Amino acid sequence: MAVQLFGAIDVGSYEIGLTISECSKKNGIREIDHVSHRINLGTDTFRTGKISYEHVGELKALLSEYRKIMDSYGVKEYRAYGTSAIREMVNSTVVLDGIELLTGIHIDVLSNSEQRFLDYKSIAARGEGFTRFIERPTAIVDIGGSSIQISLFDKDRLIETQNLKLGVLRLYDQIHSIDAGARRLDYVIGELVNSQLKVFQNLYLGEQRIRNIIVVDDYISPILQHRTLTGRDPGYIDCATFRSVMERVRTMNAQEVAKRLGMADDNVPLLYVSGKMLECIVDAFGSEMIWAPGVTLCDGMVYEFAEKKGYKLPDHDFEADILSIAHNTAERYHGIPERQHELEEIAVKIFDATKKYHGLGERERLLLRIAAILHDCGKYISMVNVGKCSYDIIMATEIIGLSHIEREIIANVVKFNHETFIYYRAQQSATDLDRQSYLTIAKLTAILRLANGLDRSHEQKFHDIRVEVRDGQLFIRVPGEVDLTMEKGLFVHRADFFEEVYGIRPVIRQTKRK
Amino acid sequence: MSAENQNGISRKQGSGAMSGTDSAVAVKGGEIDWRNPAYYINRELSWLQFNERVLGEARRRDNKLFERLKFLSITSSNLDEFFMVRVASLKDMENAGYRKTDIAGMTASAQLAAVLSATHKFVDLQYSTYGRMLVPALKQEANLETVQYEELTEEEETFVRRYFEEEVYPVLTPTAVDSSRPFPLVRNKTLNIAALLTRKTDAGPSILRQKKGHGKGAEAADLDVAVVQVPSGLPRFTVLPAQADGPVRIIFLEEIIRHNMPQLFLNYDVVSACPFRVMRNADLSIDEDEAEDLLKEIEKQLKRRQWGEAIRLEVESGIDERLLSLLKQELRVQESEVFFIDGPLDLTFLMKLYGLDGFDAFREHRYARPQAVPEIPEGADVFACIRKGDIFMHHPYETFTPVVNFVAQAAVDPDVLAIKQTLYRVSGNSPIIAALARAAENGKQVMVLVELKARFDEEHNIGWAKMLEKAGCHVIYGLVGLKTHSKITLVVRREEDGIRRYVHLATGNYNDSTAKLYTDVGLFTCREAYGEDATAVFNMLSGYSEPRHWNRLTLAPLWLKDRFLYLIGREAEHARAGEAAHIMAKMNSLCDPDIIEALYKASAAGVRIDLVIRGICCLRVGIPGISENIHVRSIVGYFLEHSRIFYFENGGSPEVYAASADWMPRNLDRRVEIMFPLEDPAIAAKAVHILKTELADTEQACEMNADGVYDRVDRRGKEIVNSQLTFCNEAVAAAAVADPRDTRVFIPETAPES
Repeated sequence: MAVQLFGAIDVGSYEIGLTISECSKKNGIREIDHVSHRINLGTDTFRTGKISYEHVGELKALLSEYRKIMDSYGVKEYRAYGTSAIREMVNSTVVLDGIELLTGIHIDVLSNSEQRFLDYKSIAARGEGFTRFIERPTAIVDIGGSSIQISLFDKDRLIETQNLKLGVLRLYDQIHSIDAGARRLDYVIGELVNSQLKVFQNLYLGEQRIRNIIVVDDYISPILQHRTLTGRDPGYIDCATFRSVMERVRTMNAQEVAKRLGMADDNVPLLYVSGKMLECIVDAFGSEMIWAPGVTLCDGMVYEFAEKKGYKLPDHDFEADILSIAHNTAERYHGIPERQHELEEIAVKIFDATKKYHGLGERERLLLRIAAILHDCGKYISMVNVGKCSYDIIMATEIIGLSHIEREIIANVVKFNHETFIYYRAQQSATDLDRQSYLTIAKLTAILRLANGLDRSHEQKFHDIRVEVRDGQLFIRVPGEVDLTMEKGLFVHRADFFEEVYGIRPVIRQTKRK
Repeated sequence: MSAENQNGISRKQGSGAMSGTDSAVAVKGGEIDWRNPAYYINRELSWLQFNERVLGEARRRDNKLFERLKFLSITSSNLDEFFMVRVASLKDMENAGYRKTDIAGMTASAQLAAVLSATHKFVDLQYSTYGRMLVPALKQEANLETVQYEELTEEEETFVRRYFEEEVYPVLTPTAVDSSRPFPLVRNKTLNIAALLTRKTDAGPSILRQKKGHGKGAEAADLDVAVVQVPSGLPRFTVLPAQADGPVRIIFLEEIIRHNMPQLFLNYDVVSACPFRVMRNADLSIDEDEAEDLLKEIEKQLKRRQWGEAIRLEVESGIDERLLSLLKQELRVQESEVFFIDGPLDLTFLMKLYGLDGFDAFREHRYARPQAVPEIPEGADVFACIRKGDIFMHHPYETFTPVVNFVAQAAVDPDVLAIKQTLYRVSGNSPIIAALARAAENGKQVMVLVELKARFDEEHNIGWAKMLEKAGCHVIYGLVGLKTHSKITLVVRREEDGIRRYVHLATGNYNDSTAKLYTDVGLFTCREAYGEDATAVFNMLSGYSEPRHWNRLTLAPLWLKDRFLYLIGREAEHARAGEAAHIMAKMNSLCDPDIIEALYKASAAGVRIDLVIRGICCLRVGIPGISENIHVRSIVGYFLEHSRIFYFENGGSPEVYAASADWMPRNLDRRVEIMFPLEDPAIAAKAVHILKTELADTEQACEMNADGVYDRVDRRGKEIVNSQLTFCNEAVAAAAVADPRDTRVFIPETAPES
């Protein structure tokens, strides 16, 4: 049958959701069922670093129910992702193993950037609406339980994304410990949020205004779906109306709010926090319009599944977004664009020519490109410890769309581009990298080193090279009469490492221009 | 008779009529006081009016004789339930010193007094109907008579004696009352015989020890007391051996036992023996937060129901004063709670009498049996039929079988993945339950919501909930504090182009027996919007969060009331704007104050409002400036009116809905109910036709007048319309057209594909 069912489970900080979707070539993605249940895992983790036994038990029971629901639809494929509450748990391995043994559901832990990327994908899946909305300067404000992610777009391209520890649940817990009346609490939230927003604004916005806001959350979004409330298409509201809605909300008690806005009583306090936070952002960014597409992480998971299976999806180039952020990061650390471009081009040519030898795929090719773009960002800190500094910068930078492991691969490739390669067994620091990932690092390092060696002069002498493997050698053919004395001289030890990894010897050949 | 409420408003009880001075619009702070109690009728008194309308059918000479027996029987069972629940509740309120007034401004005590007073009159009318109208008519027309023991012929007496000795005597348990044996706990609703005994002079040692101080009269006369329960397992009456061409004669069980009392107390003389019956407080109050296992808790409460506080004592007229005094003392009933019955106690036996063989001519035959649903021919694939378009059914004119088949077919269909259903009241040997169990055995995911709190069906529901669980169904019991009254079934099916959901929504229960007697509407659909909503309903009932949004369905208790208020308010706005505005609504009861206020405001704005309300209606019609545009009628007919249909003119873009809910606070605030729109124009037209036909009924309808009293419809100048009969005839005609066997157009079969 051309129809495939998929179950997406989001083990969130405050709510555990399950979405059952149907994917087909004919109709794309169709949501069949969605259930969610509140378990406040976030408060446990954020306070104590662990989830209470009671909540673990509740989670196990719930996931067993979710298993049954998936069975009732005949779902064979599913993904379960844990987000911040699971991510920040100190004993997540033990807990997740217990859950899997009992329920048969395996939970993967998403890094923040992976999680946000999935949210982003689900927004982009809205197709036309999304494309139109980001034509003007836009920010995606993804409000989670433990943090918020602000991603900036310029000219329909993602340029910056930052994570702020201002999650709605975290904030709610913080203000709970402050003894203040309702109005004061509003003020306190404003102070907590604005202090961080000011820094963000100084660093990433300057004088720029962000006209549009796309909000992803569990509290504001559902109410913005009420057309009668916003007076516009579901999900859209202008900022002035939003402010007046929030003003009205603040004059009502929780029960009234729940009734008027059609939401659960328990969610009202979190709506206050989420709403105030969004108001602060709207004010800081000088925004005019808000769009709440009403997407969830589950939507992103389904999108990812459908993408992998090759089902019909709205067309958006996510790879270009990732590269755009990498370029923007490189620019922040004063990298030279021409040099990045040259290095990226050479590295990609080598990668493509040696496919049979490294066996890596498109994703690794993307990692190599990012490594090339960020290859010397550490120079911004130190011209001597470039490898170490680059590694630290990359590891501390949110590149939306990359997993934690992928980021570590890139950071290591960049580091070993400048430093002696440390073999897997010789590592001394703790790492999440497994052998396979480490092998990828070695393979990509060998290519980047080689490319870097070729462009040592930064004169873009290797602009039009051709790369091919023949008779056990990797021929790098450079057209023209440029002087390659330095490159050839320094090439030897880089070629050694390449040969060690791939078993083929790189050779530079100059060809005369026709 | 008049009573005064807290506001000093005087009103005629029973009719609930307003006094002349009340008819002026009450103004509060310069605005109309829509909640003035004078504008409302007390719900209990309104309910009694409904029972009077049923009794009216028993008194109608143009009704078939045996149908009249049935109506009288219904008034009796209705009244029992009313006492066990409503009167009991008023007593609880009175005992708790609850002083708050009701919608009509009456305190619990005032209501109780008014209800008891009205009930006494009602019972008198019931027995006058029985004794003066029906018994003579049975004898004269049907040649059927009830006899006293003394009236038995020799042959009959022999028969009865043998019957007593062989079948009755072995199951009797006479209970003596003395100092060591207290007065027995007389079970709720059971029929008993109390006797005063005196010890024979030649008797041996007494079975009764020292006498207990029961009743001054009994003690003074040195009498003993005993109680015998009339066995509920035996038929209430026995048909005596027939004589050729003679009448059919019956004798009551209590009469047989009373006559044979001396055999039960051999050493005593029976001074006096009299049947009595006790009604007890049966209002279940379950603390669900405390009750971890609802099933066990309800079982426990059911046992307690047998022994709730006595709230009504029925005794035969002419009961020995001493015996009565003793019963009143033991059962702790007030004078006003004692009902002297001039005839057989507990008239529900008339339903059995209705079933007696040989009296077919005295039963109604004009109403056709349930007809085939034209869109679902017999033996058709229900799913395939639904795929062709939404299907609307009007029961019992159209058969309930497609609904049963829907579940039965799903149970064996290999493509069906899951079945989900809410069950409130089901029949004794329900084919739906059997199908659900079969589905679970076939590996389908079956989720059934069993409402254990369905009053008077609790025991029944517990039984089959356990059975379903055993069969492998996932049985859930709904939400804490809310009864699940909605009627919805969802079948999830895997089809060529993906998952398809089939939904059945209805106003009536999944009960194949009552579906032959109750008028209800149902809708089959496989439209995605309804499927999504149905899925969300079951998710909510399973305890998951609310859905992000609803497509079509509106649910109580969260959204339904607001939706109704909005729809009514919208009509008022249309009327004010000079646009078309009209509300037609049909339901069982109307007593929600917010809804009534909204209706008053709409009426005042110029909206014409036509209501067909079978039972309770707390709204008053004809109040100048308030409800002049509101018309209320009630239909009591061969079938029990049960469907809920709502029509809103909406400025010329009408909207029609059906729902499981009445306009009552219990439905809108404390139950899970569903309202669903009838969007298909042809289906909406069918629903409107139902409303319009009932509004045109001249035969079974009564209309409320400005005094709050119901009068028969004035037929003058009107076409005679019996709405239920009309629907029957229409269903017969539609089924005939749809059935290819009745057509003269013959279509040749095509050759099977090779």
